[in-house]
Amino acid sequence: MGSSPLPVTRTRIARLAAASALLLLTGCAKEGISPQGQEVHRLFVIIMILAAPVFLGVEAVLIWCIVRYRKRDDDPAPQTVGGSRSLVVFFAIPAVIIAVLFPFGEATLMNIERRETPQVQIKVEGFQWEWTFLYLNEGLFVAGKTLVRPAVMVLPVDEPVQIQLVSRDVIHSFFVPDLLFKRDAIPGRTTTFTFTPTKLGTFHGQCAEFCGLWHSRMTFDVKVVAPLDYQAWIKQQRKKAQGITCEPQGTTLSLIAHNISWNQFCLAVPANTPFTVDITNQDVGIQHNFSIYDSFFEKKKYFTSPRITGPDSETLNANPLPPGHYYFQCDVHGPAMSGAFIVK
Amino acid sequence: MAVTQAPTRELTPEPRGRLLVWLTTTDHKKIGILYLVNSFSFFTVGGIFALLMRTELARPGQQLIGAHAYNELFTIHGTLMIFLVIFPILAGLGNYFVPLQIGALDMAFPRINALSFWLLPVGGLTILSGFLAKGGAAACGWTCYAPLNEQLGTGVDLWLAGLILVGTASILGAINFIVTILRMRAPGMTMMRLPVFVWGILATSLLVILATPVFTAGLIMLFADRRLGTSFFDPAHGGVALLWQNVFWFFGHPEVYMLILGAWGVVTEILSVFSGRPIFSYRGVVLSFLMITALSFTVWAHHMFATGAVELPFFSITTELISIPTGVLFFVWLGTLWKGKLRFEVPMLFALGFIALFLIGGIDGVWAASPAMDFAIHDTYWVVAHLHYVLFGGTLFGIMAGMYYWFPKMSGRMLSRKLGQWHFWLQFIGFNVTFFPMHILGLRGMPRRIADYAPDRGWSFLNLVSTIGAFLIAISLLIFFANVLTTLRKPRSAPADPWRANTLEWATSSPPPPHNFDALPAIHSGRPVYDARVAEAGPTDRGSR
Amino acid sequence: MSTAEITDERVARATSGPILGMVLFVASEAMFFATFFGAYFTIRAASPAWPPKGIPHLEIGIATVLTVILVSSSFVLQQGVRAIRRGDGRGLQAWLAGTLGLGISFLGLQLYDYSQLGFGLKDGIFGTLFYVMTSLHMAHVFGGVVFLGLVFTQARTGQLSRSRHESLEAGAIYWHFVDVVWVGLYTVFYLLTPR
Repeated sequence: MGSSPLPVTRTRIARLAAASALLLLTGCAKEGISPQGQEVHRLFVIIMILAAPVFLGVEAVLIWCIVRYRKRDDDPAPQTVGGSRSLVVFFAIPAVIIAVLFPFGEATLMNIERRETPQVQIKVEGFQWEWTFLYLNEGLFVAGKTLVRPAVMVLPVDEPVQIQLVSRDVIHSFFVPDLLFKRDAIPGRTTTFTFTPTKLGTFHGQCAEFCGLWHSRMTFDVKVVAPLDYQAWIKQQRKKAQGITCEPQGTTLSLIAHNISWNQFCLAVPANTPFTVDITNQDVGIQHNFSIYDSFFEKKKYFTSPRITGPDSETLNANPLPPGHYYFQCDVHGPAMSGAFIVK
Repeated sequence: MAVTQAPTRELTPEPRGRLLVWLTTTDHKKIGILYLVNSFSFFTVGGIFALLMRTELARPGQQLIGAHAYNELFTIHGTLMIFLVIFPILAGLGNYFVPLQIGALDMAFPRINALSFWLLPVGGLTILSGFLAKGGAAACGWTCYAPLNEQLGTGVDLWLAGLILVGTASILGAINFIVTILRMRAPGMTMMRLPVFVWGILATSLLVILATPVFTAGLIMLFADRRLGTSFFDPAHGGVALLWQNVFWFFGHPEVYMLILGAWGVVTEILSVFSGRPIFSYRGVVLSFLMITALSFTVWAHHMFATGAVELPFFSITTELISIPTGVLFFVWLGTLWKGKLRFEVPMLFALGFIALFLIGGIDGVWAASPAMDFAIHDTYWVVAHLHYVLFGGTLFGIMAGMYYWFPKMSGRMLSRKLGQWHFWLQFIGFNVTFFPMHILGLRGMPRRIADYAPDRGWSFLNLVSTIGAFLIAISLLIFFANVLTTLRKPRSAPADPWRANTLEWATSSPPPPHNFDALPAIHSGRPVYDARVAEAGPTDRGSR
Repeated sequence: MSTAEITDERVARATSGPILGMVLFVASEAMFFATFFGAYFTIRAASPAWPPKGIPHLEIGIATVLTVILVSSSFVLQQGVRAIRRGDGRGLQAWLAGTLGLGISFLGLQLYDYSQLGFGLKDGIFGTLFYVMTSLHMAHVFGGVVFLGLVFTQARTGQLSRSRHESLEAGAIYWHFVDVVWVGLYTVFYLLTPR
């Protein structure tokens, strides 16, 4: 039986392809916009340095065998086999590589997990299908709107940021490629991590754990600005929040939920008077509810309704409230679907 | 030595009518072929889904398929390829060849063997019927994490029901294989003379016995949460969302070894046959298989590094340890080729391609084994590249090697070598064009399981390249199917041993008679057919063996 | 070696096939139940209180009787196995009948216990774990009763003998396994749950 011919130039082509592949791969790993990210980039390169000889070596021997040991005559091949010594060598070589790799990996992990004293603490909530960033020390939040507007996390450069990550519904994942980092957002379990952005600019982020219909559109941005610009932005956000005010117009409120948004951002009722809220949920197959808290910190709950699945309507009867500036939200989606609740 | 019938089992007379024969057969050879036909059918469905996804992703913007439909496609693609294609092809080849390679008459439990097969198309169709259900087919990924898996429609119930059937089938099959291999070997066929393919199937079966029931339990928990009001995975009622992932991956990681051990066996054997050399270290292969089987139960949480909820150093070290026996296999393969007399028949092309590609898949997994690195590449296209390099570049190339190798034995006809070469080169090139760029896409931050992406991400060009590769693969597979179908029309002409191979299946006609062997050669080593050929050639004849 | 010797040797080795098959099946079932026990401990570790608020105190009385019934049924069955190994077919039938009676009593008493418990499947995570695990176990006891019932029919029609009683041996392995699982459930739900 004859065999198909394999020209020698394939060896050269294969080698060239391998080398360019390696170049490409190293060049394609992001540098990282934080010291943690740079650590991970370094680890990438170290692993490449360990992997490249293995890859090139095995492929080279393979190609060598293909070229050199093609059957050219009818003599039998040597029937030798490897003994115990070969086996020991075969086990030893990968064992040594792993022994070198593991400490590097551990060192990198310890470096990126080192907790710093955070100047900025942000509670990140993922929900289907956007993000809410609650700036805990500044007392404000930023919410994204599914399919319309990604949430933007504004951060001061060179300041450590602590993220407290949680999900309101299914598992999501907070992924910023330029940080070379992601962490899963899990319902019922808050995870904490810190990083320090060291480069100015706007960097993409996206949910990286499949979470349903609009997983592909659950994006956000991280905008790293100079410290002065950060302070200015905080002031601006505070002014916007305080600026939301409205007057009571009777004791019946009407609220529509559509595209995971309320149609009103400010509700008002007279003080010390019972009131009713008519909720219409127009989002097919999606649950909403209506709750009143002290603020988005949810320290005190004044009212909560059962969840209703759209399309559906419900009339809720609420007890009187003393005068004050409250906060209402849909508990399923959190601050992304919230507003000011004024009692005068 | 003549082996005709064992007194405790009589060959039942075959019923009339060809369809009835196939529907009621308990003959392991026919059942093996049924497995292959069933799997290649589901392969076509899964492959078409892949082409649809790649066509959608070729350019940014939602052109062809809506978001929900895309989510259904990647879910069912993964589920079918793993449970209805790759695993059952290996089980089917095992069904056909394990009894032959050990010199047995049939499997230990022929009727259970038939049941194991028929559960497969029923299970697969149940999963597919989700497309007709309200809310469509399961759309949660083949891993279907909680709590998302509790939200979606009836498609998920059909998905999990189908998988319970398929899982049961594989457990029954594993029991069958283990009892067959341990109890029905011909005299002289000691455990350390078993063909490595049989060791691969044995190790796979051990994994199935111990890991698949864990998945079945998880699916029952999911069903109970969805339909019976329980709260295993519901944090609002005391459940733990991550419990699903732990249960799933405790099964899921051994599962990926179930998907490759058989292929390692086939490839190792083919390298030996077409180099004209014995396996460089048979003991090394057996030891590696067994070590990998054991270690595969200790690594599962490396799929969960990014949750922040698992013991990172432990799982990192176990994951890296499992690469050691895997590395040993590469040395054995190269040692087998070294100083051989290589014959580049089509099975050998695929076996060599397997080594080249599985190497890449194995190595790119090492990046993910380090948690800090994994935080960057988990759930991105790097993982899609890795899994396809091992399952497609690895197992599927190994399966194709096995198909070309064993096709003459099963059908009595030789597949066209020319078409086989076209198939190989187009598949090899197409595969790399499709999946190599995905490493780069992953490093550039493209997550998995997205129906669409924005044009300003820098992902567009490589996605287009990848799609072109996918169509090359499709063409190569059409060539394969054309080869099979045209060859089946030819008259039977294949000899008993067209490849000058080593193991017992080549000691009988192509295809074998219903009772498998008219006469078994003496078994004094792991290469009884080689030994017989050398003995026949005589000591002075320098003819190649 | 003559053909007859080869085939005899193969028959001799092949007869323990079904028993090996049952051992493997039991191994797979052990992993199946182990998953639920794993879920139990995972959920318990994540719960602020155990048993969770609202779950009434689990009375140990009936459960202990259930344990006695099932454990003694294993001893009874094993007496039957010993009997047929001595060739005593009638003895086997008697012991098997005893085993079946105890098994059916177990099922009946457990169903009665369910009705007395005061919490249901949908009552949070404790209800989930308790009912799912014990009812899956009951299904396995039922399967064992059916299997041993078939073995009983074989015994009554004289199909079992001193040299040929694989179905009984296999059934016994399965039954003992189901017994051990119950002991695990009893330990976890009754002995390890704080009062």
